[in-house]
Amino acid sequence: MRYRSVAVVLTLAAASGIAAFALTSAARSPTAASTSDIPSYATPRTAWGDPDFQGVWRYEAAIALERPSKFAGRELLTDAEVAEADRLEKDQEAKRLAGEEGEAVGRRSVDESPIRGNEYNSFWQDHGRPRKIYKQTSLITDPRDGRIPYTPDAQKADARAAARYGVGPYESFLDPDTGERCLTDGVTGMMWQGPNGGHNQIVQSPGYVTILHEEFRDRRIIPVDGRKHGNIRQWFGDSVGHWEGDTLVVDTTNFVDRTNYEWASIWTRPSETLHLVERFKRSDADTLEYTITIEDPQTFVKPWTAVIPISRIPDGAQIYEYACHEGNYALPNLLSGGRADAKKKAGK
Amino acid sequence: MPTGLKSALIVIVAAIALGGAVWTQVRSASPRSEAYQAARTADGKPDLSGIWQAVNTANYDIQSHPARPALALTPAPPRTGVAGVDRATPTDLPAPAVRPLGAVGAVPAGESVVDGDEIPYQPWAAAMKKENSEHWLERDPEIKCFMPGVPRATYMPYPFQIIQSTDNILITYEFAGATRIIHMNTVGDSPSPSWMGWSRGRWEGDTLVVDVTDFNDQTWFDRAGNFHSDALHIVERYTAASPYHLTYEVTIEDPKVFTRPWKMRMPLYRRVEKDKRILEYKCVEFVEEAMYGHLGVVDPATGHVNR
Repeated sequence: MRYRSVAVVLTLAAASGIAAFALTSAARSPTAASTSDIPSYATPRTAWGDPDFQGVWRYEAAIALERPSKFAGRELLTDAEVAEADRLEKDQEAKRLAGEEGEAVGRRSVDESPIRGNEYNSFWQDHGRPRKIYKQTSLITDPRDGRIPYTPDAQKADARAAARYGVGPYESFLDPDTGERCLTDGVTGMMWQGPNGGHNQIVQSPGYVTILHEEFRDRRIIPVDGRKHGNIRQWFGDSVGHWEGDTLVVDTTNFVDRTNYEWASIWTRPSETLHLVERFKRSDADTLEYTITIEDPQTFVKPWTAVIPISRIPDGAQIYEYACHEGNYALPNLLSGGRADAKKKAGK
Repeated sequence: MPTGLKSALIVIVAAIALGGAVWTQVRSASPRSEAYQAARTADGKPDLSGIWQAVNTANYDIQSHPARPALALTPAPPRTGVAGVDRATPTDLPAPAVRPLGAVGAVPAGESVVDGDEIPYQPWAAAMKKENSEHWLERDPEIKCFMPGVPRATYMPYPFQIIQSTDNILITYEFAGATRIIHMNTVGDSPSPSWMGWSRGRWEGDTLVVDVTDFNDQTWFDRAGNFHSDALHIVERYTAASPYHLTYEVTIEDPKVFTRPWKMRMPLYRRVEKDKRILEYKCVEFVEEAMYGHLGVVDPATGHVNR
């Protein structure tokens, strides 16, 4: 079984009781209000002249997607709050490296953890480098309250998804979520989420930008050659890209409807009315400023936008094969457990 | 093979466009044309970019094979209706599980893609191959939507795309969303065995040579039960032979299973349709019922399992 990045970020923040996840681009630029204020950077070019996004990328910022209620009304942290969060992050990193576990490193130990959270999943968790502390209190920049503008129905579905994780029911193989079934966690969160580190490798050739996401071996082959949308519905929709200066803009429609499946996060589920617009821009040598605008009347009352700083992993980094379905022993085990549970309950 | 007809058309169109010389190559499964010079990439390498597909029956069986009624067969019962007359039934019957598929489930005949049409199995391995083919329905990893491994991914009846960059060449296959990065620069060793192997590439003249190691022992070469161990080491050679086709040669070495290295070779054809794409084939959700359906659906109120 996997943990969910969002869930873990929440758990970390709750456990440590700090402003750990409300941050903006202060790690290298403490005075910047947001990543978009960073002065224009001369984007490198490929051999054939396109802006070059190639390399391995990973989300390393400690910013929550949605603004936590304790920061309601505040888009930015103070410099003092940023400094304290940064100190704590580095302190926890040092303790992790020293082999400490549990509270000291910002997560519960295996012993004290219930089924939700970190239990044995922490074994698979890739901490990597210390997370980067930014000033912004949510990735969502529009609407201004930093919250996903769910429809009432989607809000209920989201609450249900949160309540069922690690709990079930597991009546059939359709009950585990799409990630547990090794299908995908959804394309809208693909660039910056991932249960085992969330690494992405971008490979380009003339006319194409390809994004390989390590988890679920999610893959996007984005033509950037002027073609129009096709008419085949897919889980990851139909993407076409174009360049606006040094920015890659990708427009995606023609998603399949998989709203009847269980999703770890409701906002990543595809439906036929989903429209995703993504903007990829290198704001400095090590940062990809990734902006998503998501529109789907089936799930949201209005479009929303998040601006996500993604870090470049140094040259030589690789992503590796993720054989999820090929080794999905958890799924039949979940189903057996579900059967044992039902039998026990029925016997009482 | 759903794309077979379309692909055959493409080949014909391409052949007409190029004239008789190419057609001759296509028919002879193409030793590469020494005269042809591939287009160049911006950094001066032969440009192998594009969407390619094998048009053959190697995924059924890499060796030569006659047509047969199904991949899973069961012996036909003796015919005893006429006393004293022994009438042999000429072929086995499709196994019950695949019988309703009729002609769709039958196997087309095909020529060998193996040099000399002989796979040099060690005696125990020849027996295992036979056993595999008799248990195809339970054992072929393709049925479970598992990653197909290499070289099988190359000649499955799905297209694949070569995304040719400078430091890396990405090969991305339609089947099961499988991908491989071919490392053109120095790269460390693979941290563990894998389904698609660990690929290191280099140019030998105009040929892309890919050395692939670190496989697991889970993939097959075809639906006929041809297999390998985790000692598999392959060397692939991709050479542009015309604007519309590559020659593909692969040397297979596995001292645990074979007595000597052996080779396959075949042409790979460019999918020339305008705006052709590699589409999603997320087959995991197509096989869940087959893999987990036997666990049934449990009624949480009664604990009863409906199957």
